[in-house]
Amino acid sequence: MAEEHVTFHLPDLGEGLVEATVLDWEAAVGDGVARNDPLVEMETTKSAVVIPSPHEGRVVELHAAPDEVVRVGAPLVTFAVAAPDRPAAGIVGTVPEKEERPRRRVRLTPPDE
Amino acid sequence: MSAKLTDDVAMRYADLRPGSPADAVPVLLLHGFGTHFEMNWRAAGWVQALEAEGLRVIGPDLRGHGGSDKPTDDGAYLPERFTQDLVALLDRLDVDRVDVVGYSMGSRLAWDLALRAPGRVRRLVLGGFGPNDAFAGTDLNAPGEGESPFDAVFRTVSALPGNDQAALAACARGQAARPFRSEPAPEGIPFLLVAGANDPLATGAGELARDRGGSHVEISGRDHANAVSSRVFRQVAVDFLVED
Amino acid sequence: MTELIEHTTATATGPTVELSMQQALNRALRTLLSEDGETLVFGEDVGALGGVFRVTDGLQKEFGADRVFDTPLAESAIMGMSVGLAMNGWRPVPELQFDGFAYPAVDQIVNQVARMNYRTRGTVPMPVTLRLPSFGGIQAPEHHGESLEALFAHTPGLKVAVPSDPGEAYRLLLQSVRCDDPVVFMEPKARYWDRRPVELGEPADPVGTSRIVRPGRHGTLIAWGAMVHRCLQVAELAAEDGVDLEVLDLRWLSPLDTEGLAASVRRTKRAVVVHEAPLTAGLGAEVATRVTDACFGDLAAPVQRVTGFDVPYPAGPLEPQYLPTADRVLLAVQRTLEY
Repeated sequence: MAEEHVTFHLPDLGEGLVEATVLDWEAAVGDGVARNDPLVEMETTKSAVVIPSPHEGRVVELHAAPDEVVRVGAPLVTFAVAAPDRPAAGIVGTVPEKEERPRRRVRLTPPDE
Repeated sequence: MSAKLTDDVAMRYADLRPGSPADAVPVLLLHGFGTHFEMNWRAAGWVQALEAEGLRVIGPDLRGHGGSDKPTDDGAYLPERFTQDLVALLDRLDVDRVDVVGYSMGSRLAWDLALRAPGRVRRLVLGGFGPNDAFAGTDLNAPGEGESPFDAVFRTVSALPGNDQAALAACARGQAARPFRSEPAPEGIPFLLVAGANDPLATGAGELARDRGGSHVEISGRDHANAVSSRVFRQVAVDFLVED
Repeated sequence: MTELIEHTTATATGPTVELSMQQALNRALRTLLSEDGETLVFGEDVGALGGVFRVTDGLQKEFGADRVFDTPLAESAIMGMSVGLAMNGWRPVPELQFDGFAYPAVDQIVNQVARMNYRTRGTVPMPVTLRLPSFGGIQAPEHHGESLEALFAHTPGLKVAVPSDPGEAYRLLLQSVRCDDPVVFMEPKARYWDRRPVELGEPADPVGTSRIVRPGRHGTLIAWGAMVHRCLQVAELAAEDGVDLEVLDLRWLSPLDTEGLAASVRRTKRAVVVHEAPLTAGLGAEVATRVTDACFGDLAAPVQRVTGFDVPYPAGPLEPQYLPTADRVLLAVQRTLEY
């Protein structure tokens, strides 16, 4: 399977918060992470939270060091994730499978000629 | 889940049961002043860390907080009212004994629970907590208006959505009516104190641990607000709870 | 990921290259944008992204953001803007991202685009080609797969084209955009990834003609879009039983090729029309009536219809139950054989 890079940006934290401070990374560059593994510990003016990994993959780049302030929407971490083999159908739907001979139960009787 | 356990104050709680072995002791998580279970524990990575160990997590929103009822009379927040709630919750869930992890006010209540119901508590982890008066320098008739460490905490949490400022002020006064005493200490219950090195509300934690036979871990660079999510805190707590 | 679309130059005689329908449509748009500076391509995500189905991939880069551009998520505005642009001499090629999203723009399409030429006694033509990814087959959620052909074919003033393979997509799109009448160009989503050799030449057949994609003696299967392939599969199965079916790709749903339909059915004496849309008041009824009218004395059996069911278009997981299956088409064929 091919790999592609996906960058995760700091999501909207709600409550009008516009930025957060990196407290500590729980994964390092080169680490493999599973989806929902603890990824980074961040602090806002309201609370400290652990953000889980949104992807399964390998960490390629951390875009902010501990104590650095990250704006909502700014890149946080880049993952290398497995790319699908088949072309994707854009935002919705799936690419139809390669056509196979359809299943049949009905048999025909040729007309008299 | 939500239940009216004592004196008509409904309490919301989470009871999360992964595939824990039958003999594993459940973990009761007690959040800090002005927060709630989801914010203090789940968002800070605790539920995942404990579930990864296969441990059952019981997480109430303490009275006056989160999704639980929020009375506004000071008397509803005396520490013994909280411990009554917690014992009733354990009874309802048919749980004999728990390990208790508290943070800040939750630590103080965990200590009280261990004193009042020693048979129900196996081990204690007390985060963001020290023996000194948490309300020192605070005018409890006008919390949040001064410059004490508690005033700062009060200002932050009273601005959180869903919090009731009058209930929180009553809660502070109810707690302050029974100042913490390190004597007597819970007998035969091992305890671990964990706090950020820059946490003024945890001053004296090291001495308390030394004098009463507990363990103490200090997390460098962390303060009262951000020690709770620390990986170090989670790790030492889990290690303390699962060791034989 | 989607393959990059390689650049070649299309000439009148045309080289033959293997392309998916997405790529063939992209080539056609590139040809059209090159040959006429008044041609504009726009819609939701067609510019920087290159379209959710990659049909407009690379066009903004090649022709600039003045001619290939993104619009707000407002289908009525996309079609309303097309009217204004066409009135002022442009040749708009708007895209509405999914057929289900065309409903908010029905006022602009039906009340303005379709009528302007008529309303102005022919002085204001509407050379608008609405590209509409259409029909089912990709298991998309609600509103992302519909079959609106009867609605548009029923609207006087609109032409309706439905390609069934990459070569047809290339040629029909050239014809549609060059045509001074408004065309609703319905692209069968299920066939976007279908790859075939495409001759990048000029269209030879006139607008409004059908084509025979498989000749046969015992009956005619009539279809458009992805159902043409379902019918070709059925014809293969029928051949195993000694039944030789013709497959007719209607491809222009307005104007309807009554002559082409009649010529085929007069030879084969049996007709089955297959479409994805619900049965009642579907285009199959119109086709059946025209065939019956033109071939009444020649028909060996009543014209059969195999269609979707009279229910709202189902969400993805139910598509296989909704769309005409090979067995349903074979049963209809057997009814005409036994009649």
